[in-house]
Amino acid sequence: MGKAHKVLIIEDEPDVSLYLQTILETNGYQTAVCEAAADGMTHVARIRPDLISLDIMMPHETGMSFYLKLKKSREYKHIPVIVISGAVQQKEFCIEDFAPGETVPPPEAYLEKPIDVDLFLLTVNKLIKAALAGKK
Amino acid sequence: MAKKKADKQIFDAGRIHSEFFEMVPHMVAVVDRDYNIVAANRNFEEFFGPWRNKKCYAVYKKQGGPCADCPSFEIFKDGRRRVIDSVVVDKNGRPAHNVVRAVPVFNTGKKDVGYIIEMSSPVTDTSRLQQEVSILFDRVPCYITVIDSDYRIVRANEKFRESFGNVMGRHCYEVYKRRNKKCPNCPASKTFKDGKIHESEQSGIDKKGQDINYIVSTSPLKRGGGDVAHVIEISTDITRLKALEKDIIDAERLAAVGQTVAGLAHSIKNILMGLEGGKYMISLGLKKDDRDLIDKGSEMLDRNFNKTTSLVRDFLSFSKGRLPQLEMIDPNRLVVEIVDLYKDIARQSGIELKQVLSPKVKKAPLDPDAIHTCLTNLVSNAIDACQMAKQKGNEVIITVRDDRNTLIFEVTDNGAGMDYDIKKKIFTTFFTTKGGKGTGLGLLTSRKLVQEHGGRIVVKSQKNRGSLFRLEFPRQRLNYIYKEGRKGGDEEK
Repeated sequence: MGKAHKVLIIEDEPDVSLYLQTILETNGYQTAVCEAAADGMTHVARIRPDLISLDIMMPHETGMSFYLKLKKSREYKHIPVIVISGAVQQKEFCIEDFAPGETVPPPEAYLEKPIDVDLFLLTVNKLIKAALAGKK
Repeated sequence: MAKKKADKQIFDAGRIHSEFFEMVPHMVAVVDRDYNIVAANRNFEEFFGPWRNKKCYAVYKKQGGPCADCPSFEIFKDGRRRVIDSVVVDKNGRPAHNVVRAVPVFNTGKKDVGYIIEMSSPVTDTSRLQQEVSILFDRVPCYITVIDSDYRIVRANEKFRESFGNVMGRHCYEVYKRRNKKCPNCPASKTFKDGKIHESEQSGIDKKGQDINYIVSTSPLKRGGGDVAHVIEISTDITRLKALEKDIIDAERLAAVGQTVAGLAHSIKNILMGLEGGKYMISLGLKKDDRDLIDKGSEMLDRNFNKTTSLVRDFLSFSKGRLPQLEMIDPNRLVVEIVDLYKDIARQSGIELKQVLSPKVKKAPLDPDAIHTCLTNLVSNAIDACQMAKQKGNEVIITVRDDRNTLIFEVTDNGAGMDYDIKKKIFTTFFTTKGGKGTGLGLLTSRKLVQEHGGRIVVKSQKNRGSLFRLEFPRQRLNYIYKEGRKGGDEEK
């Protein structure tokens, strides 16, 4: 087995991040948790994750403002993002609702809380593979 | 010599008469019994054109026979002078409105009328103006009445008569409101007293028994000082506007309910996520025989069950009481209560809690518990925002004041402030920036309570600068809801 893929979890709710960590680590991923969106980019630079799991509603700076920074950065915009939120009821996550006038692409995946564990793992696996293939 | 002098006097008198006849600033003509114009001055000729050897009806009206209502005919009969309004035709064929003074000239030494001198003045402009004013008075989309100092209607326009029937001579309060005595807060009585314009919103009953809402403006029917003998009342019917306003209040209430349900779903989803997490960890712990994982999972379940409890508790308080229980209270009092309640808590966190009262603010119909809850939420949020702030020297100020007939409470802080994303979301979901500590119901509850008062919350905020939350209660809406709550009690309040 090769080196474990790294997932950065940006989530202020400790129960949710512990849950996601447990799922991912049990399934062979390496994880790191960041509790504030404002610190997100620092974590990204340090850890260089293969995928980011992102909450939207967070204190101070929202997940969306982190997302905009990430997708506008030349160095990190290729990192796939799964938005996990309870705020959106639609199947599709519409960026326009959260950041009107922005031209960044929508997140690679959106999952509604509470998540389906199998779907979550499947999505993580698929997105990391696709990102790596894209890099090559 | 004497005869010569007398002749000269006669000659001069004739010349003076002739000059006078020509110069008089009216159109003068002399008509005999056979409708012939025997003399006319320059003004007459200039206006009507050639008149010699013509009949008066041919000149005055350019018609072939005597007028049906010929005034001269009457004067020749009874010898009495007359002033009449007459529509004539000028030399260019244009109709004109003239006032004609007709004076008989008796035959010398006899009682029969030999000639009639007719002196005409054009009144076309005045008449048209009068007509325009009269049309304006009747057709203007307002009720207009003129009342005397006994509050009796002496004039009423067409629109008023259409809605209220025949009202002349009746008391305005009887007509507008079917009362038998003067209304309290009558704006007309103020105008009678001070001669100034007054305005007020009133409700009345029309001739069909329908309720009618109107804004009435009363002004003295004269310019300058002195006693006011008559007052003009101009009322605008706002019944449909009122109905719309009620629809808007209802729609806002419904929207608040809708958002609450959506927000509740969001909040429950977060808790479900925690419960799922706990369950997942316990079953994984059992599978792996990992005691630590089981404990963590069980703690997670506990926490999220507790969250459910507090959410349900908050939600019940949110859904409590559908209509606000309004009573007349001093808004200053509420602010003092909140400051007393939070002063110490704020000080312990190094935050100064200040109040800015306004002795001028009048009592208002408010639900004291509801406003207390709103202000409590806002002040506790403001204190939290100060605690999260990077900068020091924080303060929270609660202000109460009246602005353009709107009662205003303001809670300002110089705490953490909010960015665009947060500002956008604070009222739309059970959104919280307090992590696991908040349920995200505080502001939503506040907004619901404010909306039930017909008011709104205005938010201004800048990241790292602070926030302002303003509760605005238009007094007219408060009064309306107050009246509705009392189901047609004393309408003047």
